[in-house]
Amino acid sequence: MHRSGFFLTILLATVLLVACTAGGQTLSSLPSPTSLPPTPQSIRLRDGLGTEIELSGAAQRIVSLAPSNTEILFALGAGNQLVGRDSFSDYPSEALQIQDVGGGFGNLDVETIIALQPDLILASPLTAAEQVQGLRDLGLTVFVLPNPLQFDDLYTNLMTVASLTGRIQEAETLIVQLKQRVQSVDEKLSGIARRPLVFYEIDGTDPNAPWTAGPNTFIDMLITRAGGLNFGHDLQGDWVQVSLEEILRRDPELILLGDAIWGGVTVEAVMARPGWGELSAVKNQRVYPFDDNIVSRPGPRLVDGLEALAKLFHPDRFQ
Amino acid sequence: MKAPSTLSFWSARPYLVSGLALALALFFSVAVGAVWIPPQTMARLLAALAVPLDLSDVPPAYRTIVHNVRLPHAILMALSGAALASSGAAYQGLFRNPLADPYLIGVASGAGLGAVIALALRWPATLSGWLVVPLAAFSGALLTVLIVYRLARVNQSLPTTTLILAGVAVSSFATALTSFIMLRSRDELHRALAWLLGGSTVNGWTPVWAAFPYIVTGFLVLWSLGHVLNVLQFGEEQAHQLGIPVERAKLLLILAASLTTAAAVSFSGLIGFIGLIVPHTMRLLWGPDYRRLLPLSALGGAGALLFADLLARVALAPQVLPVGVVTALAGAPFFLWLLRRAKSEFIW
Repeated sequence: MHRSGFFLTILLATVLLVACTAGGQTLSSLPSPTSLPPTPQSIRLRDGLGTEIELSGAAQRIVSLAPSNTEILFALGAGNQLVGRDSFSDYPSEALQIQDVGGGFGNLDVETIIALQPDLILASPLTAAEQVQGLRDLGLTVFVLPNPLQFDDLYTNLMTVASLTGRIQEAETLIVQLKQRVQSVDEKLSGIARRPLVFYEIDGTDPNAPWTAGPNTFIDMLITRAGGLNFGHDLQGDWVQVSLEEILRRDPELILLGDAIWGGVTVEAVMARPGWGELSAVKNQRVYPFDDNIVSRPGPRLVDGLEALAKLFHPDRFQ
Repeated sequence: MKAPSTLSFWSARPYLVSGLALALALFFSVAVGAVWIPPQTMARLLAALAVPLDLSDVPPAYRTIVHNVRLPHAILMALSGAALASSGAAYQGLFRNPLADPYLIGVASGAGLGAVIALALRWPATLSGWLVVPLAAFSGALLTVLIVYRLARVNQSLPTTTLILAGVAVSSFATALTSFIMLRSRDELHRALAWLLGGSTVNGWTPVWAAFPYIVTGFLVLWSLGHVLNVLQFGEEQAHQLGIPVERAKLLLILAASLTTAAAVSFSGLIGFIGLIVPHTMRLLWGPDYRRLLPLSALGGAGALLFADLLARVALAPQVLPVGVVTALAGAPFFLWLLRRAKSEFIW
């Protein structure tokens, strides 16, 4: 029966093709961290899932599973202790040199993570609890850094990562700087007469019903702290889709395009949207592309986000 | 149907060919991955599964990768593929409809809804609730099928048309609810989407042990009903006249197929096309006898899903594609090609 013969041939061809395209790095070609072990005493901390994690010393081979974690590690000077990072970790640019361990729409590349022989995997709530458990079952140490809700939580997170990586001094210096910058923004904004209504566009793929940030998001927290009034503040849910009619009715003073960075949305494109020309923000040319990464990744760059927002909302206070 | 006359029911050849393909698929699934392992080490790690070997000189990372990542994953994929393909074959026989797939009466949408609800409730992960999503998916799937079954029952019988219509209606409702919940969630959206596209969020041996009993039991029940499925092809009335307890057989078939499918999708995500393509391929290759078609579909489904998964893992490494995307992308054209090739002989 030659049909089954053909079937087998197809199978074999597939097998060969697959075998040829497979590959990756070997254990021997692992990048080795260059930093010195800062403190050789054991570290014991409770993580965001309530699990007590113990390290025999400062982590020297870290895999970061979230862009915010990667940014924190680099900000603390622990970038050279990083041996793997998730696909979304693209800042600072040095992070791109580090082994990618997946984490996109599919799953993490568990094999590569194991081969990197990490002594610490720094995860975030972006990683499913099941997956964290799966990694722990394989004998790996996973610390889940909780999401901060306020700047104080961010400082706590920085200290936590500092303890895990032996970068306490760096963290203390960084926190002082960040606190000063936040305080400086607070001072400049003290006694502001009014808070402009701000529409932060997360996704405007459907211009008749764009997505914005609801309450309990970093974006909402930052807009409020920067002296603005978040359009989605009184709505329900984290990501909210609102109708153009409602936007026209409330007529926000500013429109920030968070989708400019990933969706290529431009001010011109917004002006060309049917109906949007009626908005005061469009008429007064107060539509701005905005780097979404500095307000959505809970790392030290949230302070950059705060400053950028405050300058847009109250330019007169930042001359 | 022009049955391949040279083949008797017990002919070993179809089993040998399918078994060989599955063995090859299993071997490559374990041998190939994002991390390259030297062939010698790989050979010893594989041999160590059968005979006790001293592996103290093998890097522990390699051992973990082969024994605790690739092997359980391959077995889970094989089990899921077998479950989807054999339930697909059973449903096509039961409904006498070549388009029936394992998801026809709501397993997929129910599982999706269960999973998304569990994700949206932000189940206290602190309570080590790490199997919560698969378990919620499993409960959602079975609950949905049960609702469909209850809705479709007319007096003491279960008309096929009513069952399919009830299945479609309940599925649509569950899918709409799933979309609604997903749109209102945030971080969970990403996980839910990955799961719905056929990505598993769990690894290691636990999901294998969790899914194994359901899939094996369900399959054995289906297989034992192979003869009933053969007779059902003449129509329910004839089957009844031939002494087949049609209603009880239907209930058993639906229960068994739902159980295996639910167990598969809960741990491996929603994987399309396997339940449709594999049984038809097997039918085209080896004939329509359900006593043979069911085990062959199981073997073929296991092999096919392993190959699809292999492609998903290596195509964009270190990124991993959801395997459901691969089965749809590769499966549909392959099926069309097969269909055209065998058109002259293809009488369903």
